[in-house]
Amino acid sequence: MELNEFVAHFAEQFEETEPSVFTPQTVFHELPEYSSLIALSIIAMVDEEYDVTIKGNDMRASVTIEDLYNIVKSKM
Amino acid sequence: MAFLEIHNVAIRGISACVPKGIEDNRKMSFYTPEEVEQVIEKIGIEHRHVTAPNETAVDLCLKAAEKLLAELGWEKESIDMVAFVTQNSDYLNEPNAFLIHDKLGLPEQTMCIDYYHGCPGWVVGLSSVASMVMTGNVRRVIMLDGDTVTKLQYANDREEKPLFGDAGTATALEFDENAAPMYFNIGTLSSEGLSLTRLHGGFRNPWTVDTLQRELDLRSGASSDVSEVGKMDGMDVFSFAISKAPKSMKKLLANYGLDMAKVDNMYLHQANKMIVEAIAKRMSMPMEQTPTSLREYGNTTSASIPLTMVSERSRELAEQHQVNLVCGFGTGLAWGAAYFETEKIVCPPVQILE
Repeated sequence: MELNEFVAHFAEQFEETEPSVFTPQTVFHELPEYSSLIALSIIAMVDEEYDVTIKGNDMRASVTIEDLYNIVKSKM
Repeated sequence: MAFLEIHNVAIRGISACVPKGIEDNRKMSFYTPEEVEQVIEKIGIEHRHVTAPNETAVDLCLKAAEKLLAELGWEKESIDMVAFVTQNSDYLNEPNAFLIHDKLGLPEQTMCIDYYHGCPGWVVGLSSVASMVMTGNVRRVIMLDGDTVTKLQYANDREEKPLFGDAGTATALEFDENAAPMYFNIGTLSSEGLSLTRLHGGFRNPWTVDTLQRELDLRSGASSDVSEVGKMDGMDVFSFAISKAPKSMKKLLANYGLDMAKVDNMYLHQANKMIVEAIAKRMSMPMEQTPTSLREYGNTTSASIPLTMVSERSRELAEQHQVNLVCGFGTGLAWGAAYFETEKIVCPPVQILE
């Protein structure tokens, strides 16, 4: 699993936020478009792309996209 | 491993009933007009049928059962057993099966059992009832399945309120040595069960004046503070559902060498559109063969699979041989997948409780 690819998949779950906004350091909870429904899309993406089941607490505990990446990596 | 292979059991009919009352998600006061369209797009639910205060799961299931029995032409004396799958009993200490036994006017020789199960309940109940019919000891069974989960909803709950509706269903099973086998896989993840659990009002934490007042305020909308009452962790339930449901169905197919290509329709618990579509994608099942009744009825917990069969495929089920793959998942946490064939069953249109 590669970080930039993960960030790109993460960005694909958003419809209005520009892809250029997303970096490993993005504090995603602060993005105006981020919502509980977007969180579900991200959980589905992680399950689909990486076959890893992440939970609500994993989403809530992650500050940056890289934090979430590290959680997914640790579960692979 | 709970794999069940059941012989000699035919499903003869399925019926469903919903209350007349309708809630429109576009009229939920807590959403802006833009928000509500996004929510409807994601969850796929526009309306939900909601019981009035004096209507219960017994009333819904009674109407479904009366219609089913009339169309089947079954004499009441011929029914050996009544099962009732529900989490919403009319009374604290009288199982719903007894109430419906009385209302249907069934004889003393009919046995009654309640199954206390949530969303996977129709599949789990079917596996249990069918196991009894398989022996030939009980030959005709009516299995009711209904909940009125909207009565437990909190008026200002932006996450749960737009999801749930009420429904009651009836399924008729009969001993038949020529019936095609039914196959089940049932599983449990009890360690995560509390992600769907209300903590107060049962025998572990009986109501106190304070907790009951808080509950009533949440239901009426006087309060929105849901801390420490226990409610659905939507993200946990979502990740559970999209992971376990397809795995369970794939295990079922692999265990018995069943061919996905022969399945006419896959009926999933109607949790919400995102979950249904995610599971369909993992099963490589086109949405044309994954019927959904979400738009009109929402998530009706364990009734959602039979309700969807009736509301979306009554003609096919009534006029054709059908191969059905189903999966229920949720409360427990638990899940159940089943593969069964039906041969021109009785399947009247969805009844409305007036």
